[in-house]
Amino acid sequence: MALAVLLLSGCGARQDKLKVAMSLTEDEWKVMREKVIPAFEKKEKIAVEAVQVEASDLPQLLEAMDRAGSMQIDLFAQDNMQLALLTSKNLVEDLSTYEKMIPRSVPRALVSNLRTGDRLYFMPYRPNVQITYYNKAKFDKYGLKPPRNWDELLAVAKKFKQKEKTGKVLFQAWGGSPTATQLYEWIVSAGGDPFKFNDRGCVRTFIFLQKLWPYLSPDSRKARFETANEYLERDSAYLSQNWSSGFSQFVKNKEKSYIKTYSGFRGPRRYAHVIGGEVLGIPKGTRKTQQALLFIKHLQSKEIQEIFVSELGWLSIRTDAYAQVEPRMKQHYDSVMKAMQSGVFRKNVVYWDQYEKLANEAFIKIVVRGEPVRPTLNYYAKQMSEHIKK
Amino acid sequence: MIRPLKKYSLEIVLLLPMLAYLLGFTLLPVMNSIYLSLFDSSGLAFPSSGSYGYIISHFQFKEALINTLVIVFAGLTLEFFLGLAMALVLLEKFRGRGLVRAVMLLPLGITTIVAASNMRYVFDTHGFLNKALMRLNIISAPADWTGGGAATLLSVIAADMWKVTPLIMLILLAGIESIPSEVIGAAKVDGASYMKRLRHIILPMLKPFITMALVVRGIDAFRIFELPLALAGRTVPVLSTYAFFEYREYGNVHTSAAASTMLFVIILVSIGAYLFLSRRNREI
Repeated sequence: MALAVLLLSGCGARQDKLKVAMSLTEDEWKVMREKVIPAFEKKEKIAVEAVQVEASDLPQLLEAMDRAGSMQIDLFAQDNMQLALLTSKNLVEDLSTYEKMIPRSVPRALVSNLRTGDRLYFMPYRPNVQITYYNKAKFDKYGLKPPRNWDELLAVAKKFKQKEKTGKVLFQAWGGSPTATQLYEWIVSAGGDPFKFNDRGCVRTFIFLQKLWPYLSPDSRKARFETANEYLERDSAYLSQNWSSGFSQFVKNKEKSYIKTYSGFRGPRRYAHVIGGEVLGIPKGTRKTQQALLFIKHLQSKEIQEIFVSELGWLSIRTDAYAQVEPRMKQHYDSVMKAMQSGVFRKNVVYWDQYEKLANEAFIKIVVRGEPVRPTLNYYAKQMSEHIKK
Repeated sequence: MIRPLKKYSLEIVLLLPMLAYLLGFTLLPVMNSIYLSLFDSSGLAFPSSGSYGYIISHFQFKEALINTLVIVFAGLTLEFFLGLAMALVLLEKFRGRGLVRAVMLLPLGITTIVAASNMRYVFDTHGFLNKALMRLNIISAPADWTGGGAATLLSVIAADMWKVTPLIMLILLAGIESIPSEVIGAAKVDGASYMKRLRHIILPMLKPFITMALVVRGIDAFRIFELPLALAGRTVPVLSTYAFFEYREYGNVHTSAAASTMLFVIILVSIGAYLFLSRRNREI
């Protein structure tokens, strides 16, 4: 009886509420639940039920609901590198007719990257960019400046290793997306095409990484997006690339005010900073498209984007949302804006997972184990081209 | 055929939920995993040994298999000797024995993922172990215990030992306590030393318990997953983490299923060994 009542009340609640799926940290959920959602509910008189769904789980979840003919999610935020699967499986609504609702202060580059052909399936919401974090106190102590190119990076890594007897420059060598993303950025900055594996830029990148590896922090193999800043915070590393959004943790921790950011170093050919982040989409089969569009509008509004910037340290999609940032964040946002100028979008392809796998394997073989660069890359180039053909 | 069904209808009805559970949550997923493993890695050809061929030739699978075997056999050997030593110590009567027994059993009550996180504080580059070794001037720079290689395997084995040795100790302690005190007393009267009593009385009589402890723990050890993952990330792949990453991160359902099936076969062989050895012990 109690179970039946619970189920019925659950069904009732589901009918009234706009169900939103997001992947956020605890701090981010706090702001979302205490400020962002209540403001929408008050303004539009629409109740919102927000749930945590990991980016990697979302495609399977939507596919299962779609097959069952019962779409339980009305709106979702998704990693911008996990979109190709959603469109190729026809799981999302075409939002092309609503493109006009995107605020004018949103740079067009953030929108054009979301197109599939001439259709727009996703809306911009939360951009992110790879920048470089460094420990200013340690750099000052050893009379070093943040590296501006690969040669300087190698020199800095060597100096730290010599002074501290252990490497202090971090490369996110955990595997999976963090390693593949960093490799992608470095290869582009060396003038290569990451999916080719054996062009000049790829070869140059792997040769350099092989040279750099002995001087990197031993924590590199455990470093990923979520943990790299932790190593900086514990003084286990003094320089690391990571997403710009992670800087808020250093602002909250006043004792770590010596952790600074800058846009980063250039490769042999150019500056390149991978642009990531999340976008919003409406699943096919929902009956609440209009309410979902209202929530998208709310999330893109200046008021909410300012909350994201000031309280979470997120990068805003709007150029007019940075007025209220505190001085220390201002310096950070200057770095971020500079990085955005040479921003690179990763190609949104259905074979991204396979690229990640092959890039990681090549990294382990060449960089960690020291196997010869060219033959190994030739092998992976062949593997990648077979996947692309499939 | 109908009569026995009628006779045992209540028993059958009572057994049905359990059977449904076993079928739905154990047998079907296992069968499905075996079925998926019989596609080639692209999922187009069936039946095919392609996924097995792929993983067997894959360098990370070989590494995962070797690491799993090392963790199981080296870990089990160390856990056995430590567990036996602890059981023998706890057999002696001393003040506070009850408290010591309770404290030694504490790791058993801690979730593996929590234990692994705690062990990170020990084995991390800036962990307690490095700090202690540096203070004692044994090393001059932090050692990388979890960055891969033999040191990381040892760290995983040590962390696993901390967690599961109390289980072996408990089984062996129960076994030693079940040995009639008259037998040991008679050996003492005959002037047998402690080592002789251990070698010629305690260990032979403990054989069924040793077999049970080793095989039960051995089966469990093959399934090791959270501990290496949380402690060392991907630097020490084992069979279960290999299957996990193939599916979760790279979406390779068939190669992941092939790796899981191979792990399943290894565990089946271990169970077979347990049944064989326990039957032989009974016969002896």
